[in-house]
Amino acid sequence: MAGKYTYDEEQIVEQLHNPATAREAFGKVIEHYSQTIYWQIRRMVFDHDDASDIMQNTFIKAWTNIDNFRGDAKLSTWLHKIAINESITFINKKKALNNIPIDSDDSFLAKTLESDPWFDGDETQLKLQQAIASLPEKQRLVFNMRYYDEMKYEDMSEILGTSVGALKASYHHAIKKIESFFTDND
Amino acid sequence: MKPEDSKILQQLGKEPGFKVPENFFADINEKIKESLPEVEITRTDVRPSLWVRIRPYVYMAAMFAGVWCMMKVFNGLTETNKQTLTAKEIAAGMNVESNVEEFILNNSVSDMDIIMSYEDSLYYDNLIIDSENNNEELL
Repeated sequence: MAGKYTYDEEQIVEQLHNPATAREAFGKVIEHYSQTIYWQIRRMVFDHDDASDIMQNTFIKAWTNIDNFRGDAKLSTWLHKIAINESITFINKKKALNNIPIDSDDSFLAKTLESDPWFDGDETQLKLQQAIASLPEKQRLVFNMRYYDEMKYEDMSEILGTSVGALKASYHHAIKKIESFFTDND
Repeated sequence: MKPEDSKILQQLGKEPGFKVPENFFADINEKIKESLPEVEITRTDVRPSLWVRIRPYVYMAAMFAGVWCMMKVFNGLTETNKQTLTAKEIAAGMNVESNVEEFILNNSVSDMDIIMSYEDSLYYDNLIIDSENNNEELL
């Protein structure tokens, strides 16, 4: 993921606050985190083009607010938070455009997967994505972070601002709902 | 696969079925870098706040303090339980009648012990009387 760059977070954070080196340092941040951030967004919004746009917005927002980043939290935590906020804002806008109540689940996002040229999953993979899309937003985030990214609960706790216990419960509920989805749609 | 994952998920695997165009990440990274606007960077104090810097040491100190307190409490309990008394202290204690009565009341001395000690005292009394009689006879 680091590509041609060497990545030392402490050094990068220092460089980000030096006007002479900030732009180059942020380039390294993009190189280092773009894939992680892209996949997090893609699993939330499903569509490749949407995920690509949201990722660009995420990095631009992070860059324009770089002065507010003090280094108290990890850069990855900060970027994940921005990406989640951008994704949720995008989904809510899409719901409004499609006259879908804001408190309903995000199943509508997975409806176009079948015809999506950037989805090559089989029937079971499609069904799993539909099951994930039917989860409440927070459970969906927790499930994706834990199941696909194998993120530690402690790191998730920092990003989502929820206790480890609540996250474990959330993940457990998500699994139960996915199992029910498969049983009901057999 | 973690044990917390269900059987269904174990069968499904972790490949979501999404793909991206070729060289997508290399291209998008360059595109984002080029589109970054000019920003004014004024904050140069990149050092984390004092609390963030000292937090690990505070946590460690609290942990050691906790262990020390636990050891103190534990030692205090064992010392109270030990109640080791020297022979002199026992003897002094036994001289006080109320202590002896309390000792008997607490069932620390059985009835048999009392009978035996009474018989012993009778035996020693007889010995004393005998020795006094012998002394008188000698005189």
